[in-house]
Amino acid sequence: MSAPSAPAAQPAHADSARIRVRSLGKRYGALEVFRNIEFDVGAREIVAIVGPSGCGKTTLLRCIDGLLPHDTGDIWVGDARVEEPIAGVAMVFQHFGLFPWKTVFDNVAYGLRMAGAARTEIERKVPEFIKMVGLAGFEKAFPYQMSGGMQQRCGLARALAVEPSVLLMDEPFAAVDAQTREILQFELLRIWQERPTAMIFVTHSIEEAVLLGHRVIVLKGRPSSIHEIVEIDLPGPRTRATLQLPRFAELRERVWGTLMREAREAEFQLERA
Amino acid sequence: MTSSAINAPADAAPEPPPLSDRLRQTVLPRLVTGLILLLMWEIAVRLLAPPFVARPSSVVAIAPKVLTDPKFLAATGSTLLAVAEGLVISLILGTLTGLAIGRSRIAEKALLQHVNFFYAMPMIVILPLFSLWFGYSAATRIATIIFASIFAIVMNVADGARAVPGEYLEVARSFRAQRLRMLFEIVLPSSMPYLLAGVRLAGGRALIGAVVSEFFLSIGGLGYYILYNSRSYHHSEAFVGVLLLAAFGVGFEVLVGWCTRRFMPWYRRGAN
Ligand SMILES: Nc1ncnc2c1ncn2[C@@H]1O[C@H](COP(=O)(O)OP(=O)(O)OP(=O)(O)O)[C@@H](O)[C@H]1O
Ligand SMILES: [Mg+2]
Repeated sequence: MSAPSAPAAQPAHADSARIRVRSLGKRYGALEVFRNIEFDVGAREIVAIVGPSGCGKTTLLRCIDGLLPHDTGDIWVGDARVEEPIAGVAMVFQHFGLFPWKTVFDNVAYGLRMAGAARTEIERKVPEFIKMVGLAGFEKAFPYQMSGGMQQRCGLARALAVEPSVLLMDEPFAAVDAQTREILQFELLRIWQERPTAMIFVTHSIEEAVLLGHRVIVLKGRPSSIHEIVEIDLPGPRTRATLQLPRFAELRERVWGTLMREAREAEFQLERA
Repeated sequence: MTSSAINAPADAAPEPPPLSDRLRQTVLPRLVTGLILLLMWEIAVRLLAPPFVARPSSVVAIAPKVLTDPKFLAATGSTLLAVAEGLVISLILGTLTGLAIGRSRIAEKALLQHVNFFYAMPMIVILPLFSLWFGYSAATRIATIIFASIFAIVMNVADGARAVPGEYLEVARSFRAQRLRMLFEIVLPSSMPYLLAGVRLAGGRALIGAVVSEFFLSIGGLGYYILYNSRSYHHSEAFVGVLLLAAFGVGFEVLVGWCTRRFMPWYRRGAN
C-alpha cells in the first residue's frame, strides 16, 4: 500500500496519519535526550525505529504512550493530544510486563477490565485473542510456567485485546532467543495483516526493522534527532520469502551503513573524551 | 526470567530424598535428643522437686482429662477467638496503613516513625494503659492483641508496596487504571509475599499478646488457665496449656505456609 515513488520529505501516509509527532523534545534534568523529533505514522503503517543504545527510543515511546511528559512539541493520536495514556493506544513491553499473580486469561483481560468492559464481552474476546497469538490451551497457566516467547505472546494478546488503533512495541522480541524471535516476527506480521493498526516498533535489530517496517527511522546524535527516514519499498504481505529479496539486502545495508557511521562517530567521541 | 522456569509444572519441587535416608539423618537424631531431654527432666523432677511439679509422665497422664475438660475447652476457644478477631482487624487496618505508607510520601512522613516506635515498644508496657482505658475486660485483651500484631503487618506491607516493580505500575498506567484500582489490584497482590511474612510474625505476636493480657488482667482464657493452675499447684494441667499454645504457634506457621503455596503458586523466590 505504500507508494514507492513518494519522496521521503512528503510521506505518502500523511493524509491518513494516525500518530503525528511535532518538534518533540525531552530532557531528564540536565540530560537532553532528544530534540525536534517529527514524524507521522499512518493508520495502517508500521514505522520501525532504530538507534544506538541510550539514544532515547524507550523514552520516545513512553512519551507517545503518555507515560512520560514531554518538554517541547506535540504528540497527536487522531484528534487527541497526548498528555497522559489515552484509550486506543496499547504498549507491548520489552520485559513483557505480565502480572505474575494473574493467569494468561486474566493478564489478557486486564486492559479490557480497566476499560470497563462487560463480563460477557471479556469472556468472548479474551479467548479469541489468546487463540490469535497461539496460546490456546494455556488460559490457566501462570507467566512463570511459560517460556519467554510464550510470555511475550501473552503480552501481545493483552495489547491486542483492547483493539487499539495504535500499537507501541518497545523491543518486544529482544528478551527471547533468536529462533523464537524469528517465529514471533512472522506471527506479528500475520496478525497485523489480519488487523492492521498504526504501529511503532522499536528494535536494535536492523534486519527486524527492515522486515517489519514500512519506514525505518534512524535516530542519531546527542541529544538525538531523526537522522534519516528510510522508505522500505518491499512488497507486502511480508513473509519469509521477503528475507531473500535482493531489495531486502540493499535496504538492510543502507540502514546498516547509516547506523554504523553513527556508531563509529560515537566511538571516536569516546576516545577523545 | 530464568530458563529453568520454562514449562515448569506448577508443583515442581526438588525430589525429596528417600524416606529411609531422611529418617536416619534428621528425624532420628532429633528424636533421640528429645527423648534424652525429656528423660533428664523426668529424673531431675523426681529426684529434686516436690511432687506437684510437672514432669513428662504426669503431663501425659493428665492430658486426656484436661483436653476434654469443658472449662479448658471454653478457655481455649475464648483465647483463639480473641486472637482471630484481633488478627483480622490488624490485617485489614495494617494492610491499609501499610499501603498508604508505601505509596504516599506524605503518609510515610506522617506515620512511619510512629509505626517503628510502636513496633519496638514491648506490649507489656502498654497493657496498664489499655486496662485503664478499656477496663479489666476482653476489650483490653483485643486491644493488646491488635497492638501486638498490627505494626508487623504495617511495616511489611509498606516494604512490599515500596518494592512494587515500576514496570507493573507502568503497565497499569498504560491501560489507564484508576489510582485506587492500581493500589488494590497491582500494589496489593504484588506485595502479597511481604504481607504473608508480616502475618506470620503477627500471628505469633498476637498469641503472646493474648496470653500476656490474660495473665495481667486475670480474664478467662488459655493464658489465665495456665496462670491459675500453676498458682494452685496444678503444674501438669498448666503444662498441657503451654504445649497447646506452642502447637497453635506452629500450626499458624504451617497454615500461612500452606496458604502461600495454595493461593500464590506464582510466588517463588528468584522466579520472575
Ligand atoms: N528516568 C530517567 N531519569 C534519568 N535519565 C534517564 C531516565 N530514563 C532514561 N534515562 C536516560 O535517557 C537516555 C535514553 O534512555 P532510553 O532508555 O530512552 O534509551 P534507549 O534508546 O531505549 O536505550 P536502549 O536501546 O538501551 O533500550 C539514556 O541516557 C538513559 O540513561
Ligand atoms: Mg530502550
